[in-house]
Amino acid sequence: MKYEFVETFLLAPRALCGPRLATSHSRTPEVVRVSLLEVRDLDAGYGELQILTDVDLDVADEEYVTIVGPNGAGKSTVMKSVFGLTTHMGGTVTFADEDITATKPEDVIHKGLGYVPQNDNVFAELNVEENLEMGAYILDEVPQDALRMVYDRFPILEERKDQKAGTMSGGQQQMLAMGRALMLDPDLLLLDEPSAGLAPDLVDEMFDKIDEINEAGTAVLMVEQNAKEALRRCDRGYVLVNGQNRYVDEGDKLLNDEDVRQDFLGG
Amino acid sequence: MGVSETYARGRRLAGEQPFAIVVGLVAVWLVWFLVEGLVTGRIRVSNVLSYAWDGLLRGLIVGLAGIGLSMTYSILNFANFSHGDYITSGAFSGWAVTYLLAGLGEANIGSLLLVGAGGSVFGGALGIGITTSPLAVVVGMLIAGAASIGLALFIDRFVYKPIRDESGIALLITSVGVAFALRYIIVFVFGTDVRGTTSAGEVPRVSFYLIDGSFRINAHDITLLVVAVGLMLGVHLLLQTTKLGKAMRAMSDNEDLARITGIPTEQVIRATWIVGGGLTGIAGYMFVLWKGTLGFNDGWLLLLLVFAAVILGGIGSIYGAIAGGIVIGLTASMSVIWIPSEFGRAAAFFVMIVILLFKPQGIFSGRTTA
Ligand SMILES: Nc1ncnc2c1ncn2[C@@H]1O[C@H](COP(=O)(O)OP(=O)(O)O)[C@@H](O)[C@H]1O
Ligand SMILES: [Mg+2]
Repeated sequence: MKYEFVETFLLAPRALCGPRLATSHSRTPEVVRVSLLEVRDLDAGYGELQILTDVDLDVADEEYVTIVGPNGAGKSTVMKSVFGLTTHMGGTVTFADEDITATKPEDVIHKGLGYVPQNDNVFAELNVEENLEMGAYILDEVPQDALRMVYDRFPILEERKDQKAGTMSGGQQQMLAMGRALMLDPDLLLLDEPSAGLAPDLVDEMFDKIDEINEAGTAVLMVEQNAKEALRRCDRGYVLVNGQNRYVDEGDKLLNDEDVRQDFLGG
Repeated sequence: MGVSETYARGRRLAGEQPFAIVVGLVAVWLVWFLVEGLVTGRIRVSNVLSYAWDGLLRGLIVGLAGIGLSMTYSILNFANFSHGDYITSGAFSGWAVTYLLAGLGEANIGSLLLVGAGGSVFGGALGIGITTSPLAVVVGMLIAGAASIGLALFIDRFVYKPIRDESGIALLITSVGVAFALRYIIVFVFGTDVRGTTSAGEVPRVSFYLIDGSFRINAHDITLLVVAVGLMLGVHLLLQTTKLGKAMRAMSDNEDLARITGIPTEQVIRATWIVGGGLTGIAGYMFVLWKGTLGFNDGWLLLLLVFAAVILGGIGSIYGAIAGGIVIGLTASMSVIWIPSEFGRAAAFFVMIVILLFKPQGIFSGRTTA
């Protein structure tokens, strides 16, 4: 189903001419339900400072989408904006047909989104289990089945459930942050640089975990520095430069595109 | 080799940490002075113990009041200078009720509610005490807590909440204004006189004969000990085992992350004021019960020690506030062994500065509310 959407509405028109420039974006108004997450003409920043200009972004049900781009391009800002953590300056964010542009950060999670920020993504002073409990704070009781699922996915977390999160390694913290975001079994998981700071052998493991999560039915929107690997694994990718969409296409196509390779993937 | 090496090491230490050496020497001198005094009988063992007991109780009050200050600091990110006047407000509210309950029928209600303003009623004459009027004391204590909670919530709603997103400095300066406003409202209502609330002679006590003198513990010492330790334990359990407590720790740890996990931050802030305010009001009430006098400056003067304790313990940590409070209390009370009692408070600050020079982040450095 996801491929149907991707090919029919986004990729077909320029399948022959390489990745499309995002500025030539043509909308398909006849489609009722285009995607799970729909970001349209988003302008956002911090206080007076505008970082994003006219950003468009879609994630379909169960789709795996990556955002790549140079440092400081505004990738994290896109993620934060979806959760209402930036200053909104224009455009809309829609999730499952509901406008969440003005939804407060603490209410976004109720809509079915989970978010693993790039930095400080665990409660360092809380132990592992308490971190996971906070992931399900909005429920009256800690969902034991979800906890079980997270522990099965990341066995190290169960082994260390009484350890203070701040004393764990970067990789373990990353898994904890992901586990926390999965406690409510979200429809869409936002991951901001999940492989950052991991030892090389862990990077692959992390990407495998993300594949598993996606295959289990959770749509993923991921920002990655490790652009090649991310594009290889995802369904679709965006290249963000200077707070604007530059390219959007299937991951493999971006990976093989001359311009994208030259400018963003180091040849 | 021994001598020259030791000498070299000493020189290196002196070069690297001249300050540590000075502090070390002072500590050696203090210990020597104490031991020599005890051996020659110039200082009595029983007195030293009495000072320590007094210091511990003082420390518990400072610590109890410090928990509230520390919690609001770690969750709201600002140093609340009006905290001292929350202490005083709680004390006056609670004592007004205690006077009323203990003195109903013996004096006119207005004088009782004004806690004997202008010398119209004396607490001692009403026979107030934990043994003589337990109900009046317990109810007064609860009212003190409730009043400080109400006040803290009210001020938060109308003063701090509208400027929540301003810098910590703006909040701090505002809180200084709130402190003065509260204090002079108290003066306006209750007057400036320091009144006696309990008559020291009537509080039941036990005396032990200990080696070279007597050592006394009275009923209000015990009351304070039980209430303070009980509440501290309660806060500990709240923070460690309840969902709300974990959310408080989560929020003090990382506010943005708390938001995106769906923790309702305003609700947590309100809960923080309730817990912190309640402890603060009760600390104020217990302080007055214990020392037997009540004046409009009590909380403000105590606040300096409370700040010292909280900073010393590592600002933001409730365990730091408790530990810091006890260190400060013990120092202030026990310093009379070495220096005249007028300098007790100064000694407490001096010890704070010395400890911070070695542990700049405080005893429980790097910890937040947890
Ligand atoms: N909290 C903030 N306040 C002000 N500017 C910020 C903040 N966070 C990020 N920025 C700025 O926004 C721009 C984009 O940052 P970010 O979205 O983190 O980039 P990326 O994730 O693509 O590396 C950068 O210039 C950065 O300096
Ligand atoms: Mg980033």
